[in-house]
Formats: sequence, structure tokens, C-alpha cells
Amino acid sequence: MKRTWTIIALLVAALAAGCSAKKGFEKPGFSFGCPIGDAKVSSMEDLVKLKVVHEGKRTTIEPTEMRCTMTGDLQKIDVVLNNDSSQVKRITYKFRWIDGEGMRAWDEEVWKPLLMYENSNVTISAVAPTNKAVDFRLILLSQE
Amino acid sequence: MIDPSRLSRVVLLPLLAALALAAGCATEKTRYGDARGVETVSNQFGSTDLQLIAESMTRSMLNAPVVAGGNLPIVTVQEVKNKTSEYIDTRAITDSIRVELQKSGRVRFAVDAAAMDQQIEELKRQQSDYYDAKKSTETGKMVGAAYRLEGNITSIVKEAKGVKDVFYKFNLQLWNIQNGLLDWTDEKEIRKTTSK
Repeated sequence: MKRTWTIIALLVAALAAGCSAKKGFEKPGFSFGCPIGDAKVSSMEDLVKLKVVHEGKRTTIEPTEMRCTMTGDLQKIDVVLNNDSSQVKRITYKFRWIDGEGMRAWDEEVWKPLLMYENSNVTISAVAPTNKAVDFRLILLSQE
Repeated sequence: MIDPSRLSRVVLLPLLAALALAAGCATEKTRYGDARGVETVSNQFGSTDLQLIAESMTRSMLNAPVVAGGNLPIVTVQEVKNKTSEYIDTRAITDSIRVELQKSGRVRFAVDAAAMDQQIEELKRQQSDYYDAKKSTETGKMVGAAYRLEGNITSIVKEAKGVKDVFYKFNLQLWNIQNGLLDWTDEKEIRKTTSK
């Protein structure tokens, strides 16, 4: 009887440890490794909506995945862009870096031209220019 | 008999009107643009290429262990060889890279060979009798660089049937001066195609 209770207790403890480990995988204020502040992000779509800004002529290219990590003390971002049309698309993009106070952490980046073949995915990567950059926005602009 | 003054008026007035019209049509329009925007006026090396190279190289170098380690390496900028067939001010590229790296606060730059004459000139000037010896900079205190930054830019140009394709490759290397080891290198490729 005592052994049964011990096994049950151990199982409950292991389950609790497993759950807490999973919960602790994502730090509060982060989603998929990306900083989200107080925003409610429950899916990848929410994160993309929060981080992506369309400027000027809107492109049909859509970010489908976004992940962030730290390389040293600098933020690194990977974004998967998808062209689901049957035409080659040309866009430009840049990242806008934001500091802890919500101010610009760095000068405006150069617009980077990108060619996307029909029905294709491209992963774009960026590393923050400074450790003051704790947040970011991805800006997309059509070149069609 | 036609009055000469009337004749001149008849001829001159339409002429002046035509001139005014032509001058009006030829009016130049000058507007400010986006200095960081994509420039596609021609497929020669342009401002966008320079900015793309500088940004790409800087971000890559910031990730290099030698820079990311926080040891504030002292670097001197050497020549970037232009191996393309067109004129490119490679100094403008290295200047932009130096600005970005210096602003990041992770690299320090020692005076390079190009600025050495001015540096020595100023040091010598301060040793003259015109200066207060206590407030003048001393000679023999300059700090030597531990790394040197050098690179090259090459291009492949192809032209056929109204299509011109230009491919640029910019390569940058960070060499350890003490042991001669290559501590970081990266390259940026750019392709531009113009068709008539």
C-alpha cells in the first residue's frame, strides 16, 4: 500500500515537473521567442499581426512564421515569407529596432530588395545592431 | 509697304511666347527622396548597393566571436580592392561599415594608414614651442590595432540581346595582426538585371 502511494506521488511529481518545464519554456512577455510586451498572442498569426507593418503599396507576400532568439546579447529574428501566387513578386523589407522605452534604438535600415519566385517561401534573417534593441517591427513594401 | 516696327512686333511676340512656353516645359523639378530607399536608376554600383553591403557586413561582424565577446577589439581599416570594371569609391563602403561598428560600441578603431600622415602631423605640431607641454599630447602613446579589416569587390557583367546582368560580390576579412589568422570573413552578393 505504501509503495503504491509512493509511486502515485512520484508520478504526480513527475507530471507537475513536466508541466512546469513546458510552461517555463516561454518567458512571460515573449511568444515564439519574440518580445510581445503586454499584447495577447495565442498563435503565430497573432504574432505576425503584431510585428509586421505594411507601408506604401501593400504586397500580397505574407509572413507565415516568425521566431526570435538571442545571439549573445543581440536579438536574432527569422521570418518565413510566403508567395502563394503564381507570379514572381518583388518586395523590399526592413526591420525597425525599438528600445526598452519604445523609442527607436537605431537609425532606419536600408530597404532590402527581395525577389520571390512563384509559390515559394523565403526565410529572411536579421540581427539587432545593438543590445539596446529589445523589440522590432518588420516593414514590408511592394515593388510591383 | 509694311511698317518695320509693326513687322518686328508681329514676329517678336509669337517668338517670345514660344520661348516662354519652351522654358516652362523645360522647368526642372527637384524633390527630396528617401536616402535609404531602393535606387534603380541604372545597374551600376549605387547607393542601395553601398548601404546593403555596409549593413550586411556590420551585422555579420557583430556576431563574430571576436567582436561579440565584448573585448572591444582594436581594428584598423585597410584597403578594399575594387576588382570591378567600374569606378567604385570603396572608401565610402569601409567608412559606412566603420560608422556602424563604432556606433554599436563593440569595436574600436585605430588610425589607419590613410589618416596616419595627418595624425603624425598633429602630434608633431603639439610638440612645438607654441603649446603648453603639460597639456599637449605625448608621442609614443598611440595604440596599435590588433586586427586589420580588408576586402575586395568583384563583378561579373554579362550583356546580350538588350539584357544586362551585373553580379557584385563584396568580401570582407578581419585578420589577426599578431598571429596572422583570419578571425572573421563574410561576403555579400548582389545581382541586378536591366532589360530594354
